[in-house]
Amino acid sequence: MEERRHTSLHYEMELQEIKNSLIYLGALTEKAIQLAMKSLTQRNTDLANQVIRDDDEIDKMDTEIEERCIKILALRQPAAIDLRFITTAIKITGHLERIGDMAVNIAEKAIQLNEEPQLKPYIDLPRMSGLVEEMIKNALDAMIKGDLQTAEKVGETEEAVDDLNEQIFRELLTFMMEDSKNIHRSLLVMHVSKNLERIADHAKGIADMVTYMVTGENVRHRPQN
Amino acid sequence: MKKNLFYKIFFSYLVIISLSFLLLDLFLREEVEKNLTSQIETEMMSYAKIIDLSPREKVTEQIGEMANISNCRVTLIDARGKVFADSEKDVTQMENHSNRPEVQEARLKGSGISVRFSSSLNIDMLYVAVTIRNGEKINGYVRLARPLHDVQKVIQKMYESILGASAIAVIVSLLIALFISYRLAEPIRAMERFTEKLRQGEPVGAILLNTADETKKLADNINFLVEELKDKIRIANEEKSKLMTALTSMTEGVLIINAQGLIEFVSPVLGDMLSVRYEDVFGKTLMEAFRSAELQKILTEFKRTGENITREITLDMAEVVILNVSVSAVHGYPQEDKTMIVFHDVTRLKKLEKVKEDFVANVTHEIRTPLTAIIGYLETIKNGAIVNIDETKKFVDIILNQAERLNRLVEDLLTLSHIELKELKFNFENVSINAAITNVISLVETKAKEKKITIHNNVRENFPMIRADKDKLTQIFVNILDNAVKFTPESGRITIAAKEADAYTAVSISDTGIGVPRDEIQRLGERFYRVDRSRSRDLGGTGLGLSIVKHLMIAHGGRMEIESELGRGTTVSLLFPLAKKEQNRVPL
Repeated sequence: MEERRHTSLHYEMELQEIKNSLIYLGALTEKAIQLAMKSLTQRNTDLANQVIRDDDEIDKMDTEIEERCIKILALRQPAAIDLRFITTAIKITGHLERIGDMAVNIAEKAIQLNEEPQLKPYIDLPRMSGLVEEMIKNALDAMIKGDLQTAEKVGETEEAVDDLNEQIFRELLTFMMEDSKNIHRSLLVMHVSKNLERIADHAKGIADMVTYMVTGENVRHRPQN
Repeated sequence: MKKNLFYKIFFSYLVIISLSFLLLDLFLREEVEKNLTSQIETEMMSYAKIIDLSPREKVTEQIGEMANISNCRVTLIDARGKVFADSEKDVTQMENHSNRPEVQEARLKGSGISVRFSSSLNIDMLYVAVTIRNGEKINGYVRLARPLHDVQKVIQKMYESILGASAIAVIVSLLIALFISYRLAEPIRAMERFTEKLRQGEPVGAILLNTADETKKLADNINFLVEELKDKIRIANEEKSKLMTALTSMTEGVLIINAQGLIEFVSPVLGDMLSVRYEDVFGKTLMEAFRSAELQKILTEFKRTGENITREITLDMAEVVILNVSVSAVHGYPQEDKTMIVFHDVTRLKKLEKVKEDFVANVTHEIRTPLTAIIGYLETIKNGAIVNIDETKKFVDIILNQAERLNRLVEDLLTLSHIELKELKFNFENVSINAAITNVISLVETKAKEKKITIHNNVRENFPMIRADKDKLTQIFVNILDNAVKFTPESGRITIAAKEADAYTAVSISDTGIGVPRDEIQRLGERFYRVDRSRSRDLGGTGLGLSIVKHLMIAHGGRMEIESELGRGTTVSLLFPLAKKEQNRVPL
């Protein structure tokens, strides 16, 4: 969508609006993850509450984007890449909304964790959230530029996130085995880790949709080599 | 046909000239033909009348001679139409001529003319007949005939000379037309070439024409306009460069968005501020370029309310920047409502603010903690514990300890402010790094041994000397090594090394300690800054150690760099300027 392709300037602007809203939604979810993780590492419950509050806007954006897409489908009858873009946008906004929900999950767990003494310094979790944020950023970057290479990068990062999740899981398991008092907190931390991992999955989903949008080829559910 | 002016003018001339000569020829030809024919007819008529006057017998005898003179065939016909004399044919074989058209006409009018095919001679002939009268009575007719091609030959000849004259006239007038067209078209073409050059931005002077008509005036007007345009361009360029200079030299970054919401202008300052390249953001929407929900919110709000907005936002670009953002409309574009956003980088300001706030909070806190302890224990003693000598001794020890801590704190603060106010006297001399470090290691050794920490001094004994103040250097190394011992868990290792780089002698002290989170490294030199407040205070620091090192290093013309990995350890590098550059030290 780099240059003007449509005779109708208005149509062009409608598409641009959707793209803009998607990036906006992406920025909101990125921010939500950042704040949720900050509330966890800095043990700041206020930030966690803010994440939960801000999720309303994410939900609102999600429905708004979806409505706009449907409107274009109905009124403009888009074809080829535009059609793929619209359908992709509908899916991406769903993914982003889910990511927002997961940020809320993390924030809720952070609130609980902040009520108790810290189990251990968080080292791997911030690293993991860093990777996850990068994935979302890359996935959206790929969407803006229609860049397949960036989309591929997202898939690679996802594996690193999975590995970190595994590592955190093992580590927490030893904590739980050491002392049964640790179990509650360990489970909460595990929740956070699991949520981050699922966010990574969603980011991968977005990247796959971008690949579909650009090439028209469906790369989801493809067996890993 | 080329569509240029010269050809147009010339072609018009060509058409006009050709057409007029064509018409001229057409009329002339008819006129000439008519005139010549009637002339010939009149001539023949005269001959016929002359013959008429001659006596009949004489005419009959001398008919051949007459025919020769008049260059005509002469026929004499009587009143009943019978031919009685002919210059060319035997009269006995000729039919009655009374029904010939010219004869019939002559009978009625006295003379007659006719052009027709002669059955006697087998060619087209022109016949002229007159009556021979005797009073009112017609006695007969004299008829003269001449072959028509004779007449036509004369006409043809006449016509040829007209055509020749016309051709010459046409050629001459075309040559003149060519010249005139050229003269007319050339100034206009000159102007066209000139304006074309102007359009393509080539440097132009002025058009000089040696005409005196409207083209000259047009050229003068063009020259005038060009001068004015040049002036305007010069002024515009001047304005632009003024604006660019202003935009580049001011600390604020400027961005302009057009009516379609696309970024149209980014000042170089903004590019540097947010580490974005012009090509990467030009023509994008704000959201695409900066991916900031906060920024988008401000823009949306501005579009809705139309009121200027100034707000502080945090942008997560290559690094986190705190910006003061003002949005306003750009006036002067009636159809295009452009929006200007001015970014003011307040990251440093905010950080400084935080440092100051922290400092005040910290300094009061640091002083109050020992004071609280001192007052608490003194009160306990006063309230009766004084009778118990053993208890009192213990309390007094604690009080002394806290007082000493307070003293250390005040000393450190004083040192720091002395360095900052440049009141501290430095006594620079050549110092051996190895010796200084060995000395310091002996000071911290006992503490290290308690935690089973080994200290390795890898600095060669003959390592080049550096210029430094010996006492201050010792203080630097003590502070760093003390920290290293404090923050390294049991059985850790501290390694000291030195190397010479381009412009610096670098001394590095690495430990296998707890490390510092990456985003907090740059705050380490701040007064009272502690990564983990509760823990490091337990270890008895004042929170000023690294701050003092940092400032002492600056006073030495060097600097301190810290690398650290959480849980792995920290390396503090002290960069001293090379001894020879010491003479004219460049502040860093």
